[in-house]
Amino acid sequence: MMKEKLIGALAEALEMDPMQINEEDYFRDYDNYSSLSELSVLAMLDSEFGVEIEMKEFNDYITVGDLIKLASKRSKE
Amino acid sequence: MGLLSFKNVGISGMSAAVPRHAINNFDHNQYFSKDDIRDIVEKIGVKERRLADEKTCSSDLCFAAAKQLISGMNINRDEIDILIFISQTPDYRMPATSIILQNRLKLPTSTVCLDINLGCSAFLYGLTLAYSLIISGGVRKILILDGETRSKVYSQKDRKTAFLFGDAGIAALIEKDNKYGNSWFSLNSDGSRESLIKIPAGGYRNMSSCETVKEKVVDEYGNMRSDENGYMNGADVFNFVIREVPKDFYRLIDYAGTDVSTIDYYVFHQANSYINGFLAKKLKLIKEKIPLTIDKFGNTSSVSIPLTIISELHNKLQDHKRLLLSAFGVGLSWGTALIDIDNCYIGEILEV
Repeated sequence: MMKEKLIGALAEALEMDPMQINEEDYFRDYDNYSSLSELSVLAMLDSEFGVEIEMKEFNDYITVGDLIKLASKRSKE
Repeated sequence: MGLLSFKNVGISGMSAAVPRHAINNFDHNQYFSKDDIRDIVEKIGVKERRLADEKTCSSDLCFAAAKQLISGMNINRDEIDILIFISQTPDYRMPATSIILQNRLKLPTSTVCLDINLGCSAFLYGLTLAYSLIISGGVRKILILDGETRSKVYSQKDRKTAFLFGDAGIAALIEKDNKYGNSWFSLNSDGSRESLIKIPAGGYRNMSSCETVKEKVVDEYGNMRSDENGYMNGADVFNFVIREVPKDFYRLIDYAGTDVSTIDYYVFHQANSYINGFLAKKLKLIKEKIPLTIDKFGNTSSVSIPLTIISELHNKLQDHKRLLLSAFGVGLSWGTALIDIDNCYIGEILEV
């Protein structure tokens, strides 16, 4: 459930097709990932998953799977 | 604690001046492709900006605004006991620009003058200081002059900041009057984030030299700037602001013991339209109550809150109104204020 929701939200933030997004992808390597679209990703995590984290922590998340774990953890809290 | 409250002091008049030179943000910059520029400009929402020419300083914009305020409100110069100049783009490293303005505005030598060196949050700090000094007694009128020429600070070859900043100056008169009632302020600082928005060189930690003015490629995107240019880590600032500004908003509402339904307008620092849009959504505020000037003046740092009041609320402040002000930026320094306005004089925006 969380996997589909996060991938859908990430696709929207990065203006991508959800089909192009896989759990093991390094999301910062997507062509659409830039310093501008990073703001959309941060905004999406905050507004849709209640994720409020320091950038230092965010920078440790590398794959789409990491973001799914982050979102699942926060929504349980 | 950082929480303050005042009784019966307020802003009785305001005026503003902007540079005559307006630029279309979509076609001003020659260092980036049209597509890149469009993506950036659409996201930050700055369609136009005003740029001061080489000879025009923040103080000149404030001087024009102050002259208009003094004549428009028919202020007796001898009653201005204190002049506070707010800027991070002063005339010189010394003397303080407020003292130069005392002379230019022909204020008496008994005027207390001081500069406040803070960025986007500074108008709230200026108000807090002015309100405190008025309440201390003996002080009749305080002139706050708040000006910035931020367009001169940032490199045109650094896409993170090249399209964001505009120039402007305002004047505001602070006085005692029972009609204002209560006002509340929350002010905060986090020096652990000093590097997020910074001009690294030109002060005394890293003095100006041939090295500091050299333009360098600074990242994998090919952005270029010197150490004397401003730098901003947009993602870190954004992430901090969307977390902390709403917290401070609720903290102040709670401290004031009031309800958001009593607030007529929410005036946010005009950082960029993406961040401002996000804050409004997160705080669930009504769009019609949020005046915006980011599209026509850009981010004018500490000037953006008063400039937005002057530009957008000039015909809406004749009777009693309650404003919530929210400011955040370099330092990092941020704050929230609840102030009442009552029949405030607002001058036409001058073009200098």
